[in-house]
Amino acid sequence: MKNKHLQKISFIILKMFPNFKQQYFLSRLFHRYRDLAPQLVPLDYTNQPDVRLPYELIGSMPELKDNPFRQRIAEVFSEDGEGNMTLDDFLDMFSVLSEMAPRDLKAYYAFKIYDFNNDNFICKSDLEKTLNKLTRNELTEDEVRMVCEKVIDEADLDNDGRLSLEDFQHMIVRAPDFLREVCNFHHRFTSTMRGKMRKKIQEITL
Amino acid sequence: MKVPVVTRWGSWRIHQSKAFRRFREDAKDVLAKLALWRKTIHKIGGHFGGGVQSYFLFLRFLVILNLLSFLLMASFVIIPSIVFNTVSFSGSSSIDSLPSVNMTGKEECLRYDPNPEALTVFYTYFLDLLSGTGFMEYSYMFYGFYNNTLVISSGFSYNIPLAYLLTAAFYFLFCLACIIVRSVRCSHRLQLKHTVLVPSGYSMLIFTGWDYGLQGERATQLKQNNLLYQLQVDLEEERIKQKAASLTLTQTVGLYSFRIFLHLVVLAMIVGAFFGIAAATQFSQVSIVGLLLEYLPSIVMTTSNFVVPFMCDQVARFEKYSPSVTIILALLRAVILRLVSLAVLLYSLWKQITCDGDVNTGKCTPCSYNSEQYQCWETRVGQEMYKLTLFDFLITIAMLVLVEFPRRFVVDNCSCKLVQWVGRQEFLVPSNILALVYGQTVVWAGALFCPLLPIINTIKFIIIFYCKKGTLFQNCRPALRTFRSTSSNFFFFLVLLIGLMLASVVLIYSVAIIHPSYDCGPFRFSETMWLVVPNTFHSLSNTTQEFLFYAGSQAFSIPLFIFSWSEGRDKQFLVKQIKEIAALSKEEQEPQQPPRSQAQWNGAPHWGGQHNPAFDPDTGMMTQPRAFFPDEFENPGLHYREE
Repeated sequence: MKNKHLQKISFIILKMFPNFKQQYFLSRLFHRYRDLAPQLVPLDYTNQPDVRLPYELIGSMPELKDNPFRQRIAEVFSEDGEGNMTLDDFLDMFSVLSEMAPRDLKAYYAFKIYDFNNDNFICKSDLEKTLNKLTRNELTEDEVRMVCEKVIDEADLDNDGRLSLEDFQHMIVRAPDFLREVCNFHHRFTSTMRGKMRKKIQEITL
Repeated sequence: MKVPVVTRWGSWRIHQSKAFRRFREDAKDVLAKLALWRKTIHKIGGHFGGGVQSYFLFLRFLVILNLLSFLLMASFVIIPSIVFNTVSFSGSSSIDSLPSVNMTGKEECLRYDPNPEALTVFYTYFLDLLSGTGFMEYSYMFYGFYNNTLVISSGFSYNIPLAYLLTAAFYFLFCLACIIVRSVRCSHRLQLKHTVLVPSGYSMLIFTGWDYGLQGERATQLKQNNLLYQLQVDLEEERIKQKAASLTLTQTVGLYSFRIFLHLVVLAMIVGAFFGIAAATQFSQVSIVGLLLEYLPSIVMTTSNFVVPFMCDQVARFEKYSPSVTIILALLRAVILRLVSLAVLLYSLWKQITCDGDVNTGKCTPCSYNSEQYQCWETRVGQEMYKLTLFDFLITIAMLVLVEFPRRFVVDNCSCKLVQWVGRQEFLVPSNILALVYGQTVVWAGALFCPLLPIINTIKFIIIFYCKKGTLFQNCRPALRTFRSTSSNFFFFLVLLIGLMLASVVLIYSVAIIHPSYDCGPFRFSETMWLVVPNTFHSLSNTTQEFLFYAGSQAFSIPLFIFSWSEGRDKQFLVKQIKEIAALSKEEQEPQQPPRSQAQWNGAPHWGGQHNPAFDPDTGMMTQPRAFFPDEFENPGLHYREE
């Protein structure tokens, strides 16, 4: 499972960057990971040491700090499901949440993020928790209940009272903004990266 | 796995197209960086949301439009006039090339005397500045100062009347083109967001509402407020729908008749405002004594623009429509009020100038216009527009200084319940934008008669930008309700277009129908302003005439062709989007290779100028693409997103 995972993510990275640029991207992310806890993370990863950074450090990163779903994001991408991330998990997270990841991959992970009880279905309680996180608990209980009913009405295709992955993907596929706006740690990270990448590539090739 | 083979020519073409695309993106980046007030507007968007930002973007658009119009006017009309007035050309003649009208019996029409004989007291300069009379009247400011000079010297000829007319015409066409371009761009975004295929509703809002790229507490709070408000509005509409469905027949009938009654009340208020403006205009034209009477139309118009929408809001509370319908109704009423009241003012001016349209009766007999009251009617119209603009500006500043800043001081320092309930100012986007549209329409209506009005308006809008920005940051609280900016943007450009149409009616009527003044202006010796064009045309050589005829006929077909081509392109773009989405939904049932335009591998072609069409099959990773989504991973390399 872990190998396949790594292959898939590296595949994404290789698709984004032909081989010789992969190292720059990886090293940039690696240094961000390391900067969170320099004393825990060794510089030499050739022996694949088993280092996990606790959730508190991950959750303090600027991309995640204000996101109401940061805990779920960390839990979904971490191996132990508690939010403590290894370097692989960290790279996974940034790859999926970058602009280059395909829509289906993003939809899959978005589904997992909104599935609070990890039962592969978004049920009513998951929806209520999502809604409360989105609106800072400022809707009344009645309103929350009404909205959740409406959502399940609209999106549930197999009529089992909860959303499966297929229902979710079916709905997401019709959203043109999903790729661009949702599920993206965009602009500041990747576009500055792209600019610096271009300069670096020019240096390498010239 | 297949390795795609690309020919040399193919790869060169691909390389070129990518280089061009990158160049275009870079150019767009550079232009965006040079845009006026970019950082300020970005900051406003981050603090207050898209709706307030759209107001400032609209304002910036109008500033640039006015500045460019002024440059147009200046280079073709004002500067040549200045040059010809100060420098006398050898062999120049200021005789008109227009046929002289029979001047016998028209002595009463030639009594224009803009310079008062009486000794001027020092404060009259200030009064003149406010009302456009006195030293301002006979200056480059107004139509009356320009002469019908035709300069012919050593192979160079310049016809001021023709230049004046054609510049005014081009000015209107230029503004029309700019507005259409901007509104088309807005409507693109609008169409994308509101295609039928995108399901609106709660599920979309919840699952695609959150932007994961947001950073910072303020932006997150803003977004959360956005979502909260949208959900609340949707729930409210739902509740109203349920309630309406549960009413009995008599209750429904009662509600509808009550609504009709309230509509009539609103209509009565608006019509009353119109009558007030017409009466004020008539009264002020007859006796021009004192500043107050001169400004009477402006005062009445501004008062009605404040009072009537406020009353309509109170009435709307009893109408019990859903929130979106209420907002749309309020907007429509405000638009009708503002634009039609301006039209009423212009109409009553016209009535006075042309003696109710019948130019052969009463006061209008000798000169075909009311020469008793108006020795130079174009200058008077220009003065009225100038006064409207100035008054609008003064009132805006006065509101800021006398209402908004004190309100904030009171709210911050006094803690009694009533004051706290009223609370801090909220920046109301629709009424502010309508005020801008109104100001711009006044400028358009007056541009023919007051060539310096665009630059005055530019300065006015620039000052208003900084004042509104100041009041926004100091006095306003962030909106609890956000404003849907995409659809409204398009609506505001539409209203601007209606204002332009109104002003062009004024232009066309003045140019083609009303007799120009005998004693002032560049058209003083012709029947109508328009006659300059045919006369000049006939004085050209035959070949030039034939060429212009030919160009004129082409000039119809070419813009039409371009317009229809760009329309066709829009349709193609939409059709492509629809096909994509349809293909995606088909793909749900059988996973297959996605259409080229949908593949997301836009990473590789963006950098480095060379893309990697043939991946190295030796790295073991390529041989196992099965991991999750086999459809994405086939045929890599040549896929890049087409836009």
